[in-house]
Amino acid sequence: MNQISVLPFERSGDDRVIAGVCGGLASTLGVDATLVRLVFAILSIAGGAGILLYFALWAYDGGKRTWPAVVLIAAAACSLLLALGLSGVAVLGAGLIAAGLGLLLVRGGSIRSGGKLPVPVIVLMVIGAATLLDHVGTSNSFIGPGAVVGALLLVLGPWVWQLWREHLERIRLQERAEVAARIHDSVLQTLALVQRHAEDAPRVSAIARRQERELRRWLYGSGAGDAVTLADALAEAATEVEELHGVRVELASAGDLTLDESLQQLVLAAREAMTNAAKFSTADEISVYLEANGDQVAVFVRDRGIGFDPAAIPADRRGVAESIAGRMRRAGGTSAIVSAPGSGTEVELTLPRAAQ
Amino acid sequence: MIRVVLVDDHVLFRAGVRGELGAAVEVVGEAGSVDEAVPLIRELDPDVVLLDVHLPDGGGEAVIAAVAQERPGVKFLALSVSDAAEDVIGVIRAGARGYVTKTISSDELNDAIARVSDGDAVFSPRLAGFVLDAFRDGARVGDDAELETLTAREREVLQLIARGYKYKEIAARLHLSVKTVEAHVSSVLRKLQLSSRAELTRWAHERRLI
Repeated sequence: MNQISVLPFERSGDDRVIAGVCGGLASTLGVDATLVRLVFAILSIAGGAGILLYFALWAYDGGKRTWPAVVLIAAAACSLLLALGLSGVAVLGAGLIAAGLGLLLVRGGSIRSGGKLPVPVIVLMVIGAATLLDHVGTSNSFIGPGAVVGALLLVLGPWVWQLWREHLERIRLQERAEVAARIHDSVLQTLALVQRHAEDAPRVSAIARRQERELRRWLYGSGAGDAVTLADALAEAATEVEELHGVRVELASAGDLTLDESLQQLVLAAREAMTNAAKFSTADEISVYLEANGDQVAVFVRDRGIGFDPAAIPADRRGVAESIAGRMRRAGGTSAIVSAPGSGTEVELTLPRAAQ
Repeated sequence: MIRVVLVDDHVLFRAGVRGELGAAVEVVGEAGSVDEAVPLIRELDPDVVLLDVHLPDGGGEAVIAAVAQERPGVKFLALSVSDAAEDVIGVIRAGARGYVTKTISSDELNDAIARVSDGDAVFSPRLAGFVLDAFRDGARVGDDAELETLTAREREVLQLIARGYKYKEIAARLHLSVKTVEAHVSSVLRKLQLSSRAELTRWAHERRLI
């Protein structure tokens, strides 16, 4: 959970003046490229910080060269602070605070109340704050660059405001176009399918359920694309099984987690268990329950179908059962199958939190 | 014969439900909004109101709030497609005796109506999951410890509901009578409605979806 995500920033190929850094940053942040260029220009006046920052992002470019970028950003921050009139010692103080925050990010922890705060972080930040406060007070050249920035804002403010308004309008139109496109690609297509297959009830209900889930995830969920959380991923797996095998999968959950490697394995094992139930149990509904608490994650996959005697599994099913068990074992978890002829089957998958 | 009023703004859905209800249930009235539903329920005094969580002019909560005081005999069963924790917890805390998703099968819907009409509580697997999540941190206790935490047994029962077990199956598995299982679920419903857990509301707000 503590991994630092790689910023999706990449240089823009088509929106470029020098190397496409501003264009790329603008599309990552979802703001106007002109605005970004303006900020870089202002920063460049301040001791060349903008130029250094530009090179830093150029070096970074989608996570290709992280360390040169970090060094360049640090240099940019130092030159900016020096240009703002801070003394070298004050810059050192600010640097210590930044180092503290950086350490916090790498080591895991939180500055929010109740979060854990590692001791080295506290030490670094306290020393940094003390150094900074001690020297900012005596330095009054801070005002000079401030006035310049203020004047620039007065002159350029209305123009920036206008740009911003146009930009918002563009976003609104773009969003509307996206909604229209999505409704067309999903709901309208589904309705057309439903009309054509009106006599095929199981198929229609499978199509309708798939559409329902998709729409629900789009409206309330983490958005389109790959699932980010365990519950989303299980919902995706459930939809696939529903479509492939024409059964209903009811999903309930208590707690959720961000997906990682071993949780992916859990999802795959659960998907396998659902597929199994859909193919062999003859039940038309499968219940899936996800429970994530402090100690462990558990997924239960249950059907009310014909069941079987686990002691006498036919050879063709042993392979599937083994693939569930093996998957869970490799991920550091366990699996259990409870079944008897006539009373349905329940597969229980557990993964201790420590294993993640 | 259980007398039922259907409250849902989708005419098609009401027609569908009416077709699915069995011989033991009679639909005595239908309404498509809060304004229609309130006087209708007052007039008809039905046994059970099947109530959509989302209505154009206020939602299921508003209907319950307007009627529950003067018609204590009327039981409310919430139906929803939204499944947002906020909505579900909201309508239950307003006084609904149960919550089921609109994709429920006919048999289960008829069973749920009968159960609610008998004064029992009905939890869908999803609602059971919600409740377990909201009451997860059993250690944190407010003013009234009894209301703020679930007993181990209640937790077990809810867990089995979430896993897709029916009351009868739960009873068999835990070596209890069905009546006892019903009593546990009713007790959880009471806690859900009366608990002052600030957690509950905050949690529901944070967790807007499934």
